[in-house]
Amino acid sequence: MYIPDIELHEAGTLKQAASLMAQHGPDARWLAGGTDVLVDLKTGRVSTSHLISLNRIECLHGISETDEGLRIGALTTITELGRSSLVSEKYSPILDAALQMAAQQVRNMATAGGNITSAVPCADLPPILKALGASVTLWSMEGERRVPLDTFFTGPRQTLRRSDEVLTAIHIPEMPQGFGAAYARFAQRNGNAIAVAGVAASLLLDGDGTGGGTVQKARVVLNAVAPTPKHVPEAEAALAGKKPDAESVQAAAGAARAAAEPITDVRGTAEFRRDLVEALTRRALWSAYKRAKESTA
Amino acid sequence: MTVVRTLTVNGNEYTVAVDPSDTLLDVLRDKLQLTGTKKGCNVGDCGACTVLVDGKPVNSCLVLAAGMEGRAVTTVEGLAEKGELSPLQKSFVHEGAIQCGFCTPGMVTTATALLENNPDPSDEEIKEALAGNMCRCTGYSGILRAVKRCGHHENHDGCTCNNETPEKSKHETVGVSIPRVDAADKVTGRALYTEDIALKNMVHGKILGSPIAHGRIKRIDVSKAVSLPGVLAVITGADVPDTMYGVSPPRYDEYVLAREKVRHVGDEVAAVAAVDEKTAERALSLITVEYEELPAVFDPHAAVADGAPQLHDRYENNINTVVDNRFGDTERGFRESHHVREETFVGNSVYQCPMEPHASIATWDHDGTLVLYTSTQVPHYVQYMMAHVLHIPLGKVRVIRPAVGGGFGGKAETSPLDLCSAILSRKIGRPVKMVYARAEMFHHGRGRHKQHMKFKLGVDRDGKIKAFTSEIHLDGGAYTSFGVATAYYAGSLMPSLYHIPNYDYKGYRVMTNKPACGAMRGHGVPQPRFAFECLLNMVADDLGLDPIEIRRRNAMTPNTLTVNDMDIGSCEFLATLESACSRSGWDEKYGKLPPGKGIGVGCGGFVSGAGYCIYRGQVQLSHEKPREPFQKKSVFPHANAVLKISEDGMAAVLMIGAAEIGQGSDTVLTQMCAEALGIPASRLRIRSEDSDISPLDLGAYSSRVTLMAGHAVSRAGAAVVDRMRPVAARMLDCSDSEVEARSARMFVKGDESRSVPWEEVARRYFNDNGPLVGTGCYKPPDGLGGDHKGATVGTSPAYSFGTSVCEITVDLDTGKVDIEQFTDYHDCGTPINPRAVHGQVEGAIVMGASETLLEDVQYDERGRILNPDLHGYAMMTIKDAPEIFSGIVDSYEPRGPYGAKEIGEGSTLPVLGAVAHAIASATGVWVKDLPITPEKILNALKNREAATGEKRYRDCCGEQGA
Repeated sequence: MYIPDIELHEAGTLKQAASLMAQHGPDARWLAGGTDVLVDLKTGRVSTSHLISLNRIECLHGISETDEGLRIGALTTITELGRSSLVSEKYSPILDAALQMAAQQVRNMATAGGNITSAVPCADLPPILKALGASVTLWSMEGERRVPLDTFFTGPRQTLRRSDEVLTAIHIPEMPQGFGAAYARFAQRNGNAIAVAGVAASLLLDGDGTGGGTVQKARVVLNAVAPTPKHVPEAEAALAGKKPDAESVQAAAGAARAAAEPITDVRGTAEFRRDLVEALTRRALWSAYKRAKESTA
Repeated sequence: MTVVRTLTVNGNEYTVAVDPSDTLLDVLRDKLQLTGTKKGCNVGDCGACTVLVDGKPVNSCLVLAAGMEGRAVTTVEGLAEKGELSPLQKSFVHEGAIQCGFCTPGMVTTATALLENNPDPSDEEIKEALAGNMCRCTGYSGILRAVKRCGHHENHDGCTCNNETPEKSKHETVGVSIPRVDAADKVTGRALYTEDIALKNMVHGKILGSPIAHGRIKRIDVSKAVSLPGVLAVITGADVPDTMYGVSPPRYDEYVLAREKVRHVGDEVAAVAAVDEKTAERALSLITVEYEELPAVFDPHAAVADGAPQLHDRYENNINTVVDNRFGDTERGFRESHHVREETFVGNSVYQCPMEPHASIATWDHDGTLVLYTSTQVPHYVQYMMAHVLHIPLGKVRVIRPAVGGGFGGKAETSPLDLCSAILSRKIGRPVKMVYARAEMFHHGRGRHKQHMKFKLGVDRDGKIKAFTSEIHLDGGAYTSFGVATAYYAGSLMPSLYHIPNYDYKGYRVMTNKPACGAMRGHGVPQPRFAFECLLNMVADDLGLDPIEIRRRNAMTPNTLTVNDMDIGSCEFLATLESACSRSGWDEKYGKLPPGKGIGVGCGGFVSGAGYCIYRGQVQLSHEKPREPFQKKSVFPHANAVLKISEDGMAAVLMIGAAEIGQGSDTVLTQMCAEALGIPASRLRIRSEDSDISPLDLGAYSSRVTLMAGHAVSRAGAAVVDRMRPVAARMLDCSDSEVEARSARMFVKGDESRSVPWEEVARRYFNDNGPLVGTGCYKPPDGLGGDHKGATVGTSPAYSFGTSVCEITVDLDTGKVDIEQFTDYHDCGTPINPRAVHGQVEGAIVMGASETLLEDVQYDERGRILNPDLHGYAMMTIKDAPEIFSGIVDSYEPRGPYGAKEIGEGSTLPVLGAVAHAIASATGVWVKDLPITPEKILNALKNREAATGEKRYRDCCGEQGA
């Protein structure tokens, strides 16, 4: 259970990072918080000879407001995310994930960017960020590109990011009036737990709530029950144009259940995960609905 | 390539050469000798390695040391100032927040950071902060109290719990909740566990385990491993003694390293010694083993079927142990019953998961004495087994037991690390250290047997038990280990709690291609007790009787010889039942709670020490000795103490080989000895860690230490006082028999004004007679148990009793169970240290609840463990632990020292049944196989829905949302 022999490089700027990556090529990996990659190295899941640490690159840190909404520097730790007043005042659904994830010791090291690029199927940030319509910036010497999270994930631990690209920031569009989102998850225990299943949902209600509060747009994203965080258009269709009620919410929950592609593992069987998806979809939707209505109050 | 870094640790700058792959944890422990920071899992699951980086808690096992330049690192060693404990550390000491102490450094470090930022945190904030720090001993209760109290800036001695203890101690030191004698060492990181010890010139070993569940070894090629630079020795089955070992003497069936066959994934095949652990690990990957894979069997029912793969030639049909005990006439009992119910229950594969991994260091003195440092519960049995396997006299084996980070039965036998480190050390002439990684602990096994139980209970019109039959298949794994005893225990303790006039027990311990099972807290009994308690509750429901009432009508009474010849002495079972019932508000709650809310009751008890030694006959060089016929008495004393008073009379050194493993035995033994001496406990030092210093005690298993070792130390104390009597009598001008000792004085009985200082008498004794020493020993009573086969198992000088009431909420939409409250009352005799008793209860409740709801070692179809780690094998965190009220009922056991009985294992037994019952009462469905997962609860609800058409309760979010 030792990390194999490696060299550690600490980049001070993105350009330095890029040139280190160019030098060491396919046998190098980025190091951010390290809570995934160091475990993977110890257990032999991955091997590499060079770790290029991004931790000392200033521009990757920090949370700020931009014209379009919120920018989260990729190296923002989960703890920083959970304690940000900007997040709690204007983008609080992120807290549903940030405050529940793992345990404090991990949240103090693990980064928002790492939680996304690791693309572990049970990671908690991706589903709620997808429900919020987030996108990420990928930077390389060739330039920057913006990728919506909707297309970012390609498989378990696989994304569109090329190995020479650095995920530098996460962008979340401003949440309009009438918009609400929530993330509900189930874990075996209450502390230091891994999601067995999770559902993120967002709702945009018509007008300012006076127009009857029907759903203009819904998003339902499933977690830990598919190779990647999974959109459920059928669930979204079940709600569109309707005022959420027991029937439409249950229809969405049923659609989510049908769309889930869970596996059986030590934390639960596929069938149980389907049951959870149904229950959690209801929960996430009711909670999102409540928040959407509050946003117009 | 090594790099040089300057690290700032606890305000000091250290310039060290580090390898870029070194974690901060390894550099702190190995390079800076700051071993207070512990390695519990090495992958960020347990929090034992928590340090602060720039004031924030992180897992130092997941941080590269080379990246830490310019960051401020704080370890547990940096918390106390100049030896003065911080207020939080003091709170930990006084609140009973420390048991084995292995999680303590991480826990106290994390909590220090919390209080720094949030000086008065709420319970929820404390729990959130500490959720990444696992504890297996305390149930988190004392830890929560300690942080809370420190937050409230309460500075006083003693504990803030509301637990209940009878007030009547007529003694000075016994019956008093003094802090643990090792608490300060543990809370500062000074306590040394085996892995913290580094001997000069020491090297490191690792063991290669089999990748397959069953196979013949055709060829082993170690040449590549041998030629790896840094490798000093590689051994295989050909290099180890041709002597089998184990625990149960008639069934020694393990080789140190496999000789022909491997029988489970992880079965030990080869071992390596190298200059460091990383090189040893690499060497393992260079050993090539060619196997002929054999069909394997993983289920005990399949294993006994004709044509099943055979694990051992000697166990026909893979049956390792058969029990067939019949007491009374069950046929008639059932005939005379008004109501008979038969049910099948299945247990789970539970692993002890002590926070400290097993570790051993072996070295040989020039005179041929083996010195073995080992993390064990049973130093004497290790000594005995090392002598047996290595063919050396027992006297040539010195076992040193450093601080032990929990055992729960998982460290109750000689480990492959003990044997391999000794053999490797002899081969290369250097000390060899070996430590299990977390996954290796799971693969070594020795956890709780998974039991398949078919129970039948008959009662009369009033609910009084007429007959009970039990048929149990125990999934034993690949070797015997403790298994013979486990199979008997599974049956023998059933009649100790209720009057059962007619009882049959059939037990089959079956071999399967999985790691061997062994003894775990409550040895063999918790799963049958769970099943029996569930069945009794079902029968009560059938009869329309309250579950408490049916227990009242059948409860064990004092001075009873049970149907299977267990000699029950003191018994306040009924008092525990009544107290738990009234304190929990049972009558107002049972059957009256809304759907999803439940309350349940479970009872249990255990032996206060096994009546017989595990091996028969004399202590002697065991591999040559002929089987001795069984004698119905103890051949030698099971607990022995030597007490030496310092020449100035100001200190007493108590020597006894009783194993402190976190349960607090050093503390209660100190108290009992001090009481007998008539001096404060602070004048005693206990030396229990070294077999060269401390005489034989059989160790920490079967809940035996308080009663048995307690007698030995009290008698040693009394022996010293007896020696002092004539000296004191001369000084006081009275007769010897009139001399009494108390409060560090010796005085004339009935006239305390005529007194002399205790130390003055001791000093005079030394002046005239030389060393003032006393000895004491304890043998269990002769003749315990009946004459049937296996009658020794379950015998004990005394039995404990207890009742737990559990209150829960079940989320009927997801099946998730939250345990909210436990109310427990125990008859542990007269407590020696009430807080230590409550600590055992609090820990047992959380461990028991955790195994009821969460824990299960899972295997794939090829016998590989799917969850050999602390994230896949889920145990409760502080956020899962319930509120616990622990009460001790008034009791006195004449056969116990100062009236004391056991608490450590008995406290586990009521828990499983109480949780299961609470779930049944919340949901209306019984789940009869463990663990009771949300999935099983949902499935049971769905089945009922399908059968009755009745709609399941839905979550109320809709109402709130709309």
